[in-house]
Amino acid sequence: MHNIASIEIEKDIIKANKELAQENQKIFNENNVYAIDLVGAVGSGKTSLMETLIDKMDENIGVIAGDIISKFDAKRIENKNVPVVGLNTGKECHLDAHLVEHALPDINLNDISLLFIENVGNLICPTDFILGSHIRIVIISVTEGDDTAEKHPMIFRDDADFAIVNKVDLADAVGADADKMVEDIQKINPKIPVVKCSLKTGEGVDTIIETINKFKG
Amino acid sequence: MHELSMADSMVNAILNTAKSNDAIEIKEATLEIGELTMLNPEQLKFMIGVLSKDTLLENTKMNINMLPIKIECQNCDYKGETKTDDEMNHLLAAAKCPKCNDTNVKVIQGRECNVKTIKIEREDDA
Repeated sequence: MHNIASIEIEKDIIKANKELAQENQKIFNENNVYAIDLVGAVGSGKTSLMETLIDKMDENIGVIAGDIISKFDAKRIENKNVPVVGLNTGKECHLDAHLVEHALPDINLNDISLLFIENVGNLICPTDFILGSHIRIVIISVTEGDDTAEKHPMIFRDDADFAIVNKVDLADAVGADADKMVEDIQKINPKIPVVKCSLKTGEGVDTIIETINKFKG
Repeated sequence: MHELSMADSMVNAILNTAKSNDAIEIKEATLEIGELTMLNPEQLKFMIGVLSKDTLLENTKMNINMLPIKIECQNCDYKGETKTDDEMNHLLAAAKCPKCNDTNVKVIQGRECNVKTIKIEREDDA
């Protein structure tokens, strides 16, 4: 004879990711590493931002790269002589805490003080998947269109800590209003700092570094 | 492929529970998906179907319950569902208090991706 049973599972996949993320943060803290999750669309300037910060910040920086698909990108970071771990995300549209956990043994956390985790180029899927970083930076650029923030409000909400509007030197050329982008982000999340910058001209870079240092405390 | 990785985690959670409870068949499974999760229930169902092939889940009835967005306004203390206006981006609407329009709100429901219950068949003396 057979019987039918109802079984409660109550397994929340997003909560499970959060718990793993907490474990990752514990590892960062034990190693005195400050971790930053870097989120932005393809071409928003994630790699350029890391290149600039590696040059200008007084930190030993390491990179876990979820978005380095081309060897060209990887080389750009390797040229700076900092440790890089490429995450083979396959067709995944976001990193999760589990993938990051697997990358951690490949990077010597004792050698670094600041870790960038470059997320997959995407403003939607990474939203719910925190990685265990201390802050999440969201970078968008004027070339994506000045309605980018209002079209992707969720990425700027609860888990975002700091937003950057990049490529402001190109705003006129592409007919985008950078101030509108800043206002949209502030409307969506009044709590986070927003900095306009051009990684090409250097505008705003000092403010970005000051803001990161303020978060680091 | 956002739905694929989520579907994979959900299928594993169901199969593991079914196995540890000596299931010979899984009759029904109930999932709860928050409206803010960016998951499309139809795509999710399709992916679960693909991953269920040749497993105990192959003929299971999948119930997907969508959970509406609920917020707690930090400005006026409103607690409850938000209006979603088809005219505008519904996610932005969700990030706003329907009473006072403030954007400083805490989402208290809508981000779930929960494998809630399963109904299994098992041997009587299992």
